[in-house]
Amino acid sequence: MHAVVDSLAMIGVSYVMGFLFYGFYRQFNARVQRRWGPTIWQNLFDNMKFFFKSETLIHGPMFFFGPMIIMAGAFTTVLFVPFLKDSDWLQGFSQYGNLILIIYLLVVGPLGNALAVGSSGNPFGVMGVTRGLTRLMGLEVPFFLGLAMVMLQHETASVHAIMAAQDSLAHWGIVTNPIAFCVILLPFIGSQHGAPFDVVGAPVEVYAGPRVEFGGRLLGVLMTQRMMMSIAKLVLLVDLFLGGATNILVLIAKAFSLFLLTTVISMVFPRLKTEQAVDFFWKVPLGLGVLGVILTVWLPSWSA
Amino acid sequence: MSAILRLLFLIVSLSPGLLLLAWDGSLSWTLIDGVRLSLTLTPLAGFFMVLLAVAAPLVALPMLRRPLDWSSLALYVPLVLGMELLLLAGDFISFFIGWEIMTWSSYLLLLRSPRADLETSQSYILFNLASAFLLLAGILFYYSLSGDFRIGPLAGTTFGQELILAVLLGLAFLIKVGTLPLHIWVPSSYDQAPDLFSAFLSGAISKMGVYGLILLLTLFPDALTSLAGRLLEGPAAGYLLAWIGVVTSVVATYKAIAQEDMKRLLAYSSIAQVGYITTAIGVGSSLALAGALYLALVHTLVKVLLFISVAGIVLQTGQRRFKDLGKLIERMPVSFFGVLIGIIGLAGMPPLPGFAAKYLIFVSLVDARWLLLLAAMILASTAAFIYCYKLIYGPFLGHANSPQAREAREAPLIYLVPQVILMALLVLFGFLPGLPVQVLIDPVLVALGMETIGGASWAELTTTYGGYDGVVLMLVFIIAFVLVTGIFLLLRGRMHRAGSPYDLSYAGEVPTEGTPLHYGAGMGRELHRIPLVGWILRRGTRGFYLGLAGQMRAAAALLGSLYVGRPQIWILIAVVVFAASLAAQSMLGGL
Amino acid sequence: MTLPLTPVWFVALPLLLAFASPLWVRLRLLMPLLVGTPAVLLLLALALLPEVRIAPLVETIVIAPPLGIHLQLDSASWILVALISFTGLLATAFIWLGDGESYLRDRRAFIFLLLLIAGCNGMVLTGDLFNLYVFLEISGVSAYALSALRRDAPALEAGLKYLLIGSVAAVFFLFAVVLVYLQIGQLNLAAIAEGFAGIPGPMQILIGLLMLVGLGIKAELFPFNFWVPDIYQGSHPVVAGLYSGFLVKAFLFVLFHLVFLLLADPGVAGAWLMGLGAATMLVAEVVALRQDDMRRMLAYSSLGQIGLIALALGFGAEATTAGGLFHMANHTLIKLVLFLTAAVLMRSFVSARLADLAGAGRARPLAAAFFVLGALAVMGLPPLNGFASKLWILKGFAEAGVFWPVALVLLAALIEAGYYFRWIKVLYEPRADLPEARAVERWGYAPIAVAAGLIVLLGVAPFLVDDLFIEGAQALLDRGAALSAVLGAGS
Repeated sequence: MHAVVDSLAMIGVSYVMGFLFYGFYRQFNARVQRRWGPTIWQNLFDNMKFFFKSETLIHGPMFFFGPMIIMAGAFTTVLFVPFLKDSDWLQGFSQYGNLILIIYLLVVGPLGNALAVGSSGNPFGVMGVTRGLTRLMGLEVPFFLGLAMVMLQHETASVHAIMAAQDSLAHWGIVTNPIAFCVILLPFIGSQHGAPFDVVGAPVEVYAGPRVEFGGRLLGVLMTQRMMMSIAKLVLLVDLFLGGATNILVLIAKAFSLFLLTTVISMVFPRLKTEQAVDFFWKVPLGLGVLGVILTVWLPSWSA
Repeated sequence: MSAILRLLFLIVSLSPGLLLLAWDGSLSWTLIDGVRLSLTLTPLAGFFMVLLAVAAPLVALPMLRRPLDWSSLALYVPLVLGMELLLLAGDFISFFIGWEIMTWSSYLLLLRSPRADLETSQSYILFNLASAFLLLAGILFYYSLSGDFRIGPLAGTTFGQELILAVLLGLAFLIKVGTLPLHIWVPSSYDQAPDLFSAFLSGAISKMGVYGLILLLTLFPDALTSLAGRLLEGPAAGYLLAWIGVVTSVVATYKAIAQEDMKRLLAYSSIAQVGYITTAIGVGSSLALAGALYLALVHTLVKVLLFISVAGIVLQTGQRRFKDLGKLIERMPVSFFGVLIGIIGLAGMPPLPGFAAKYLIFVSLVDARWLLLLAAMILASTAAFIYCYKLIYGPFLGHANSPQAREAREAPLIYLVPQVILMALLVLFGFLPGLPVQVLIDPVLVALGMETIGGASWAELTTTYGGYDGVVLMLVFIIAFVLVTGIFLLLRGRMHRAGSPYDLSYAGEVPTEGTPLHYGAGMGRELHRIPLVGWILRRGTRGFYLGLAGQMRAAAALLGSLYVGRPQIWILIAVVVFAASLAAQSMLGGL
Repeated sequence: MTLPLTPVWFVALPLLLAFASPLWVRLRLLMPLLVGTPAVLLLLALALLPEVRIAPLVETIVIAPPLGIHLQLDSASWILVALISFTGLLATAFIWLGDGESYLRDRRAFIFLLLLIAGCNGMVLTGDLFNLYVFLEISGVSAYALSALRRDAPALEAGLKYLLIGSVAAVFFLFAVVLVYLQIGQLNLAAIAEGFAGIPGPMQILIGLLMLVGLGIKAELFPFNFWVPDIYQGSHPVVAGLYSGFLVKAFLFVLFHLVFLLLADPGVAGAWLMGLGAATMLVAEVVALRQDDMRRMLAYSSLGQIGLIALALGFGAEATTAGGLFHMANHTLIKLVLFLTAAVLMRSFVSARLADLAGAGRARPLAAAFFVLGALAVMGLPPLNGFASKLWILKGFAEAGVFWPVALVLLAALIEAGYYFRWIKVLYEPRADLPEARAVERWGYAPIAVAAGLIVLLGVAPFLVDDLFIEGAQALLDRGAALSAVLGAGS
């Protein structure tokens, strides 16, 4: 019973945080561009509107099941990320999982969706999927390298244990392992579909991207899962680098500050093409990561 | 008569499994003076025997489809028996005999394909024989060190001797597993082999190289810790091997993405997967070896499944290129699920066991502090998503691109049975990731004198770095999926299917039948624009080997010009050689 | 009247039967006797085996002192004699059963085939240097004639060329014999062996070189083997099979027998022969890569194997020598299978060229299967006999810690695989227009099948015969025992 309530609570929290954060993002973005922008609730309204559309066009059964898989993937991901530390609540099934599992779970849903895009028969959709996978290939390398540095630092892949080790500000991951945080930050923005790495699915003159064929309730599903996934990833970084959170308010505050940081970075860069993005990930963050490995792993081992 | 022969064939294909159940004790006899053959079943060999016991009957079953190719069936028998001998071998000579029987019988099976051309068959047999002869040279060197052919740890050898032995045997096995730059024979032979036999090549035969590599480690009791010292937290000698494996995986993965033919793609993917295994063997810790064995198991299941599915597609459509297929999902649904489960396992995605294997390897790399290797492995492993997607999109999704693809029917039942069995096994191991560890892998680790890694229950996969629970994961995902789908269907609103496949939002235009809508061939082409990937894809070793073959032919022509058809020259040479050696002798010794 | 079972029959029986051939034509017994003679000789060899294994049989037929015929049957020469008889049996059975070319089935062929057997048997058995020369000429002359049997231009050319080069070889050898006789005054090999050390060093070298060139030409060692491909290609494949099967083996055996018998320390000569063997092997295997005629390809392959045997025997260790003798036997079986298969294919498709045989495996599956078996065996792949003997040789090298021959042998095997597998691939080439195959007598496959069966049997169970070869090697290497056996009996 506890598990059921807890799971529902986690899904609810991540959904609410999701539309609020993205609502804020839209308004913030507008203010930077000297517009008024929509209200902070706009994302909720949009989402609800999609869910109550009366017509939904599908292209075969796989086209329908793809969004279901991605949604199930999002739920599973959320449930395997611990939201709070030292608490019985908002834990989901995180004690049965670990960091590497979460990283891979992040990808399960999108691949399920890729099947749906493929079965729609729209070549622009498939092109978008390929671009998405290419970007993933680019960002995952530095992202995982940064995570590996964290895992090595704490000698565990368990998010709980990593959180527990950061008992005071001085022990926060961002303080004890700043290189890993810097390595992860830009790929993280990429994985959040943030600018400047947002060419996949970005509005262009010929609309292309994974969502090109989706409409109605299916599009609603895709929107929901994206918001929830974003929150899951934010919370994960909070757990790893910002010492986790003991209650929901601290969690929101920490996640929000991280969100603000990424948003600010996103706003000042022009969009990159896919291959430019990949090349960038492999040069700057990965280069930094290699440097970090040499500094934190190789040098101590040689001097010892 | 035919029925009896087919039954016999099936029994032979089942014999690895029967052997596992029935074998106890050992056998031994003398081959020639001083060469004693002995057969035993070690736990390590037992593990690979399990792989053979899975792959052999599942590949054999669809081979029984009519019209029967009796020659293939007849050649399959020595192949399987040879591999059994190889695994049962307690001494290097029986190991070598089994290895060679495997080599020539697989070559002759390869020739059964009408598509096999001379270059492919020559490269297959020459690389494999080069591997075999290196192996024999290594065995003879081992014999000169230990005075015995029995496989066992060496003692009292110098570093130089160990190095020679490790290089000879290591090269032999690396050719067999097809690491860079010795892989050139793999793609074309997997591609051109008879479609079902490719499954066996990739699923079972390539694993024998893996077996050999692990066996090589057991020859040096301290190889895992201190051959050539230690680097960070792992063996320095293994660091090199691990890089060989990772570079192989990266390059092969990109080559796989660039392929336009299903079987070639799978071939490169095999190279990449075996590259991961090689890396894990290089790490050499108990976690890493468990990961290597686990990945070997998963790769066997996955590749046999995928190659049989692809064989079914080729059988029903006659097409094997991505651009000639498409939209088979509705016509071949079981094969679709076969490929789907296959690619999830291949990509190492949770909840299927491919993830468990990769998890062990990743953790072992972190544990050894070899983070750069880990990053390179992540690169290959993420790029693999692209070819996995291509593999399912090209044949099954999108638009049907040839008349055969439009009218294809589901593969025959005899092709589907093995696929269903393999899918069930993969899903089972997804639920119970600890099952293979406890039942198959831990005994091997015990026999190698390493720590076991089995957890409390079959559902759990545990490491010192934490683990995960397969049952919980699977159940959460399934429940989430059911809930989401149920709620979605409960919502207000109608769903209806698009009236025609051309009912698309196509850049404001209305596509017609003539519009190129299938993205199967071009997928991944934009990767060339990434500098590193473009650099990799422009390179190849084929030119080098062709050049080598050309040089050999030139040498043959040069030496062949000595063998002229004129007796006066023969006599002249004989007399000149006689006179010259006499003169040389008189000059040296004085007549 | 009971005939004593003595080694002299190995020479006498074929000679007698050959000279009485007009009678056999009249009685229509030509073919049965052609097959029967080697069969009887094989039985005789088997019957003598238990005795030979205890002690060598030495037989002296005094004509007029010091001239006489010394025959010595020890464990080593027994192997050769049995091999010659067995090969002769299979080849003649193929001629009889295969119902092939008429020129192989007439009286002339009968005479020359039996003379060839008699000559070779004499060469390996004789204990007398002059007799050795005589038998060498007998086998040589019959071989020239066999090459020219077909009486068309290529065959006559081959016969003539063979005659020329063979005569040169004989001259070299004769010089050596004359020099030895001048120096020692003896022709008995054992006596020569005792006196050889007393000859001045330079003369020893001169004699050695003369013998090396004379026998080297006959035993097909590089650089004296340039004649081989032409002769093998010009002759009928069955005849070529006999050359490769036992003629060259007999010469090779004689060469090494002389080395081990005459020289107290065969080290230097052995090293020379090893070098020649290695060169023969590598050069022949490389050249074979480009051959497009099956007979020529087989000729080069045969050279390569001869080189390997020379390499093994030259090393002079017991294991390599036993392995070398075993490889002699195995190579004979293998080459017999290959040449007889080539005969079948040639009869079916008229040509032995690579291009004409493409796809032949689908029209003549049995012949192609035998070819594949022979090819696998000759490359030394298990579980066939070529592997067992190669392993034995290589193990001998490894035991001694000498690794350069191992590397060369394996390299040569790899090159060998390069062309054999090309042929196999071409034989099974999928072709829409299968070549027209002419009818072949099915019984012709029987001798091939027997040899193939032995290839498999000796590969799987070489332990059945390995004692024989170990004893053979000991007999070949143990100079003291050989000398005392002859001199003790002769004096």
